[in-house]
Amino acid sequence: MKTLAPCLATLAAFVLAGCGSTGVNTVERAQPVGERHLVSDKRVITDRTLDRAVRIVGMSEGATPDGFIKVQVEVHNTGRWKKSFSYKVEWFDASGVIVDTPASTSITRQIEGGEALFLSAVAPNATAKDFRFKFMETP
Amino acid sequence: MKTHLLLTATLSALFAACATGKVSRIEPTGDRAVTTVGGIDIKDWLTASEAMIQSLLNSGRVVTPPDSAAVMAISRIANNTTQQVDTDLLVKNIRIALNKSGKIVTTTTVGLGGTAEDPLAKELAAKRAAAGGPNRIPDPSYTLSGKILENRQQQGSEKTTSFIFQLSLTDVNGIAVWEDQKIISKYAKRTFLGL
Repeated sequence: MKTLAPCLATLAAFVLAGCGSTGVNTVERAQPVGERHLVSDKRVITDRTLDRAVRIVGMSEGATPDGFIKVQVEVHNTGRWKKSFSYKVEWFDASGVIVDTPASTSITRQIEGGEALFLSAVAPNATAKDFRFKFMETP
Repeated sequence: MKTHLLLTATLSALFAACATGKVSRIEPTGDRAVTTVGGIDIKDWLTASEAMIQSLLNSGRVVTPPDSAAVMAISRIANNTTQQVDTDLLVKNIRIALNKSGKIVTTTTVGLGGTAEDPLAKELAAKRAAAGGPNRIPDPSYTLSGKILENRQQQGSEKTTSFIFQLSLTDVNGIAVWEDQKIISKYAKRTFLGL
């Protein structure tokens, strides 16, 4: 028993060191020059764990010089651990029909503990008016 | 003896079933596709082309004629990796996306060194021109060129491979009006006994 306790403590220390938490400290202009055009959103959360690691803070919208819609979603990892996730953007035309794009792939990203990330996407053409971001957990 | 035969048959059937495994169709852009550290996977091509499409559409650097799209020709896309790859895995996605965007269409009759992607279309256009008809092959306003590079690092049991996709869009004046690169890095760690 006497030898077991130190062994367990050492093992626990190794395990905790392996899962070492990461954190991100940030600094930015107190009064930003750019003004974000925030969009009201509708969320469907089915994965609470993912929602903690990739918490959606807000969504803003703009346009490219050619008039294509440009969107940006801010996500924040409210936990202390690094998390891998993937996201995919779907685009819809004015009739709500999905706009097919050749390379509409799910993009894999990593977010550190406490980090905020901006995910952006540009509409594939001028007919794309609406969009939906899908978030998934990746191993 | 009968029991022995029955056991052998059962085990054979079991092993055969195990060897076959389960095969299913998957979403090529999803996360279930196999990821390798040494090569460029289908998802890497899609990720790189998606990044390039987004960058190009976001740039607003393509000037289109009124009521039509700009014409682009494909120049050299150099493969400087150790892999034997078809660069159309990158370029075709970009071409399709630009075509669907209505901003740029690609010519299939003008190519590097006089080679045409569609020789028949080129031949027919030449025939029309020889018969005194209008030469319908438009001069491209832009050319797309690029390079795919590879960088490998290994230390002990850890390995990182990076594939760098670089593209440039050059106008008729020889100015690269848009350029971008996408780096895809993959990491692998060899586990104990390679398991």
